[in-house]
Amino acid sequence: MYKILMIVSLIFFSGCSEKLVRVMPYEKEYFAQDKMSLSPVADRAEQEGHVFLIREASAGGESAFQGGCGCR
Amino acid sequence: MQIKQMIMLILSLIFLDVTSFASDLKDKMSFGINTYNDNADVQVYSPTFALYKKLGSQWLLGVKMRIDAVTAASIKNGSDATHVDAVTAASSKESIADDIRYAPTAMLTYDDGDNTLTFGAYYSTEADYIGKAVFVNYVKQLNEQNTAVGIGFSQSFDKWEPVFARELPKDNRDETKIDFSINQLITPEFSMQAVYSYMYSAGFLSSPYHFTLQDNIAKYENYPDTRTGHAFALKGVSLLSKDNAMNFSYRYYMDDWDIKSHTANVEFLHDISHNITSGLRLRYYTQTASNFVKPVGSYTLNDKYYAIDYRMSAFDSYTIGIPFIYRMKGGDKLTASIDYYKTSSNAYLKNWYNVDSLQSVFTTLTYEFDY
Repeated sequence: MYKILMIVSLIFFSGCSEKLVRVMPYEKEYFAQDKMSLSPVADRAEQEGHVFLIREASAGGESAFQGGCGCR
Repeated sequence: MQIKQMIMLILSLIFLDVTSFASDLKDKMSFGINTYNDNADVQVYSPTFALYKKLGSQWLLGVKMRIDAVTAASIKNGSDATHVDAVTAASSKESIADDIRYAPTAMLTYDDGDNTLTFGAYYSTEADYIGKAVFVNYVKQLNEQNTAVGIGFSQSFDKWEPVFARELPKDNRDETKIDFSINQLITPEFSMQAVYSYMYSAGFLSSPYHFTLQDNIAKYENYPDTRTGHAFALKGVSLLSKDNAMNFSYRYYMDDWDIKSHTANVEFLHDISHNITSGLRLRYYTQTASNFVKPVGSYTLNDKYYAIDYRMSAFDSYTIGIPFIYRMKGGDKLTASIDYYKTSSNAYLKNWYNVDSLQSVFTTLTYEFDY
């Protein structure tokens, strides 16, 4: 895990990162559209995060906080 | 419209109006209602409210409130119907008593365009459970905002308070979660995100109510008191054409209870008009069983662990849903969704809920606006 984090850090904070500038500011118009969001319906993401958390045994993979409840 | 103006007036009285400068942060408010209904007689209606208020040009204060009103639930396995449903904590149908869960969240965000730091605290209370948590999230924009690297941390300090007299071996459930995420724009029409989550739970991790009868003796569920999980997720969103886009995600989960799962989700979105977007989403989930669950009826009194919750067994689930987004004049937005969820047939569901598979419908409806 430590090595992976080091490699990722080197990529993003070194000169190699220039290759990651792939989209110019004037080319980002599509990413402002609702349909181009990873969570186009924010409340659904929160609701289903809760539903799947209490109906299945898996969690994680979301960079969002889910509060605890007795239903788990 | 008058209601909206009245809310704005009240807000201006509550918060001092701090002059703000150029920033992506917005004064925003939303109202919503979420519902959940399943064939195990669980019905939950959840009004939601969120308020975000700028405090200067780079600070945002947020308050969210969710209320889960559980209107009915029952245990259908022929066991003691006076017990509380382990899943919802609602009383059984025979007693027709509601349970209401209040879950406020407060957060403070700093955003200077390249750095976003959010602190928050969460509290929830219901009939048999108190949830308390703090969380912090940091996102750094790199490479002319083509790359976003994020790290999140949350720690909960929850407590069980069973509604009937039962002394638990432990009454706490503490959970630590650390997330690492990387977003990268690949082309003007395609971006990807990778997320890794580390999760550690300690305390009383089973339900205080689920039990199995073994040799005419009721044995309550008992799980290991620690659990370490890892989740790896890869997500992407792609513009297919001017009016069509698709997002997809895959997650692999594993933990030290030997539960492994795969989750795949794909969603197609279409601009029906310049201000209406809708589409279709499909999700598939499959998991393996925990290393301590046994077939229904095969436990012995010498077993250390007892599990009858179907979530500790192997099963699949399928979800199909429709999202809806309506953008109004002035930036107001109405969003809605409806999803149907079904698990595969499962002996543990049959044993506890007397259903072959769990089937549910969950919906959201939210109206949000800037003020």
